[in-house]
Amino acid sequence: MAKIKIDGKELEVPDGTNVLEAVLSNGLHLEHFCYHSYLPVAGNCRTCMVEIEGPKGPLLTIGCNTKVAEGMVIHTDTPKAKTAQKSALEMLLLDHPLDCPVCDKAGECKLQNQYMEYGLYDFRRGVPHYFKGGKAEDIGEHIILDQERCVLCTRCIRFVDEIPKSSELGIVGRGYESKITIFPDARLDNPYSGNVTDICPVGALTLKEVRFKQRVWFLKKAESICPGCSRGCNITVEHNRGRIYRFMPRENAELNKTWICDEGRFSFDHFQENRVTGVRLGHSEKGLQEALHQLSEILSGMGREEVAGLASPWAALEDNFILKKLFEKKFDVKNLVAPIWAAKGGADNLLKLAEKYPNEQGLKLLGIPPDDQGFWDRMEKGAFKAVIVMNQDPFGQDEERAKKAYGRVKVLVVLSVHKTKTVEQAGMVFPVRAFTEKSGTFVNATGRLQRFRQAVEPENPDVMESSLWLCRLAGALQVEGFDFEDTPSIFNAMAKETEALKGLTFQSLPSTGKVLGMAPIAPEPFQGVKAQPNVRGKAKA
Amino acid sequence: MQNVEPQLTKRFGVKDGHTLKVFLETGGYSSLKNLFAKKPAEVIEEVKASGLKGRGGAGFSCGMKWSFVPQTTGKPIYLAVNADEGEPGTFTDNYMLMNDPHLLLEGILCACYAINSHAAYIYVRGEFYGQIQRLNAAIDEARKAGYLGKDIQGSGFDLEVTVHRGAGAYICGEETGLLESLEGKPGKPRIKPPFPAVVGLFGCPTIVNNVKTLASVPWIIANGAAAYAAIGTKESTGTHLFGLSGHVNQTGYWEMPFGLPVLEFIEKYGKGVKGGRLKAVIPGGSSCPVLTAEECADLALSYESMRDHKTMFGTGCAIVMNEHTDMAKVLKNLTRFYSHESCGQCTPCREGTAWEDRLMRKILEGEATTQELGMMLEIADNMEGKTICVLAAALAMPVRSFIQKFRADFEKYCKPSISAVPEAIS
Ligand SMILES: Cc1cc2nc3c(=O)[nH]c(=O)nc-3n(C[C@H](O)[C@H](O)[C@H](O)COP(=O)(O)O)c2cc1C
Ligand code: SF4
Ligand code: SF4
Ligand code: SF4
Ligand code: FES
Repeated sequence: MAKIKIDGKELEVPDGTNVLEAVLSNGLHLEHFCYHSYLPVAGNCRTCMVEIEGPKGPLLTIGCNTKVAEGMVIHTDTPKAKTAQKSALEMLLLDHPLDCPVCDKAGECKLQNQYMEYGLYDFRRGVPHYFKGGKAEDIGEHIILDQERCVLCTRCIRFVDEIPKSSELGIVGRGYESKITIFPDARLDNPYSGNVTDICPVGALTLKEVRFKQRVWFLKKAESICPGCSRGCNITVEHNRGRIYRFMPRENAELNKTWICDEGRFSFDHFQENRVTGVRLGHSEKGLQEALHQLSEILSGMGREEVAGLASPWAALEDNFILKKLFEKKFDVKNLVAPIWAAKGGADNLLKLAEKYPNEQGLKLLGIPPDDQGFWDRMEKGAFKAVIVMNQDPFGQDEERAKKAYGRVKVLVVLSVHKTKTVEQAGMVFPVRAFTEKSGTFVNATGRLQRFRQAVEPENPDVMESSLWLCRLAGALQVEGFDFEDTPSIFNAMAKETEALKGLTFQSLPSTGKVLGMAPIAPEPFQGVKAQPNVRGKAKA
Repeated sequence: MQNVEPQLTKRFGVKDGHTLKVFLETGGYSSLKNLFAKKPAEVIEEVKASGLKGRGGAGFSCGMKWSFVPQTTGKPIYLAVNADEGEPGTFTDNYMLMNDPHLLLEGILCACYAINSHAAYIYVRGEFYGQIQRLNAAIDEARKAGYLGKDIQGSGFDLEVTVHRGAGAYICGEETGLLESLEGKPGKPRIKPPFPAVVGLFGCPTIVNNVKTLASVPWIIANGAAAYAAIGTKESTGTHLFGLSGHVNQTGYWEMPFGLPVLEFIEKYGKGVKGGRLKAVIPGGSSCPVLTAEECADLALSYESMRDHKTMFGTGCAIVMNEHTDMAKVLKNLTRFYSHESCGQCTPCREGTAWEDRLMRKILEGEATTQELGMMLEIADNMEGKTICVLAAALAMPVRSFIQKFRADFEKYCKPSISAVPEAIS
């Protein structure tokens, strides 16, 4: 730790922290464009100018490339530092097209924001505008480049060089003619390409999927977890009026840093398309209340052993917990399994994992076993009269086997987010909420328990969270102990009776999750990425 | 002025002076006996004591720079020879390469021995085609004769020298831009720290030295630091190749000790100012602040005299301008040059140099008022000392000195400033 002073404020920050990090992570302000906590320092924008006291008087220098040292005295607000910050900004804006009214970055643009904070000078170019050209170039499957908005910070270049190591981007030309561009015949199509649009401080790089859809200031944000694979990258779900417009990475230093893969990023539409919209019994739509009543009557007429259940690695911990509890109390928990269909591949050594579901480890934690041949044999022999399938698609996975197995099942009860093959086959279908429409927790591949919060509310009130639906069913079946009203209380009850979760509450779970110390099912992320993140400078509390 | 034997130009004009045969006949490689008798650290001390300063422009103590090389990293150490010579008005390195390539090789050998390097690269400006051929021929000769390669002259010391041809960018003369270019990347200077002496070429400790700096070393090793320090002035020891261009009756370059008054240099060697009286001198390459004729009155060719006159010794090649010179047009030439040569990384340099150039154009077109002059000065302040390398400062200094010292040349193009124009009544 080093004791330093910033604008008169005494702080103790970790050794190796640079001055800009020390400033920003302690609630102070300093202009910056090119610096990014998880990329190597480039030091080219020259906006993070500070004065550092030295034996030969104060030294004007950039904060991002200066490591703190014991006793360092830093000023961000001297006239010299302020002039340097302001003038660098003035130059960055010199030939900027200022097309904010049609720019998607408006509202979260570093140029806009920092002009308001550090600029506010009178405009005085005094010479004709130099047009760089290059409007809306299509440079990748997802990415549009607006050349003239670029401030040449090289963040995007450093990203493609350091993280996916695909190096599609470079700067050509020299001086004022410098231009960011894609190499000849290259396309910015690496599996992490979307990240460049997050880190681009201006509207030079934008996403086709998001462009012109929504002004960012209308977007509300919910803290969430990407369910695309077992990595469980931290994201925010950004939405307005019930519609989701984008998934954005959310920082987790120990997990995804500030990155996510394209597959996860662009899955947002998947959760608002092809949805099961209403309750269905046989071929007719029904109200939820009536359907639940009918189902409870059917199930009451069956023996304990005659009902089977499929738990799910796609469902939240709470959903699986309640399903298991119901089987323990009302049916036979031996007949509850969690099929984990063969992994689909597509793993890399950065974030993406082959296990394309978010909660396999959660099933392990709850002790819900995977399926085995015996289970399917019993089903084929007609041992089960009813099967409750929660967020699983056995018909979609292996139609042949599913047809054979379910052939002798009387009632196939399906809780589903999406219209699937299994939904088509089901006798009773109940729509349930996607992860964006509820709160809950997942446990990722490396055993990190993580919370996601509800972003949007489904239009139809009959679309319930699986866990709460199961509670309603339990109520109808007159089983005690299921009077939960929301996910947090289910989590807290689960934590009380689950050894690995002892002492945790939903409310106090850190936003970056908690490592439970389970055996990992995949290696830590970013194997083989050389660039070490910069030391974050949070002062000791 | 002291009368001293030539150290750098001894073989200039000598028939076949560039060959190893003539080189050896005229005392070439005579430093090696002393060199190998010393420990590397002692060589560094000797060069430090000689007072030799870098001739590439910054004038930093050569021995001091060598002493910054860490010797315990376990990594190879490199020497990069800066023969990019791109500074406008500067033209002496190429004559060194052409006339006495072996002297440079001898200097490289001394330097590499001192810093414990076994690989040196000579980064030569691409246009110097003949020089590159000479250098390569000299390296071949030296290797065959055992002055390069393994176990040089039985000393046990190994050294390989490689010539690298640049592709014509001024910025590749900046030492870290040079290293990037040597590595095969665009010549964009690196942020410091780390300094090249610690993390340089391919991530290894590297010393970058100018051609003339290195060519000065053999004489020091052969004759001793004290003898070298006795030549020139207190702070500017030894001799240098001084160049003269512009409005003089005779342009050229001459080797002499430091300390000659500039006016005497112009009179005696340049045969006087051509086409009128003296107006201005840019003392050491276009990046140095310009001096008026009056300021030149007591100016001498030395680091300290230049510093006292608030300019820089630079490369020691002066540009002379007579009374008919339009300083606004000269500055336009410079703004064009620097905006074209900026590598474009740093905001204040990329935008600032281009902004200055566009303002200069506006001034010359008669579209500006004196307000633009004030703006140019302010932009210069906002560029200097705020960038990765000193290219931005290298334009800021001329802008400031030209406008401040020759304001009339600029004002004659300017419309009266806005406040002086009476408002139309309508
Ligand atoms: C823009 C720029 C261009 C330069 N060009 C040259 C050059 O062409 N030749 C040179 O020797 N030094 C040049 N320098 C100076 C080098 O950066 C460096 O200081 C020098 O090579 C060090 O050698 P020395 O210590 O022997 O002088 C340049 C510096 C800058 C900022
Ligand atoms: S496109 Fe964006 S991220 Fe890339 S250099 Fe330009 S401003 Fe920076
Ligand atoms: S790596 Fe996995 S969790 Fe992360 S963004 Fe991609 S799909 Fe989502
Ligand atoms: S000062 Fe200019 S030339 Fe030097 S690194 Fe910055 S942009 Fe490039
Ligand atoms: S943020 Fe420090 S120079 Fe760009």
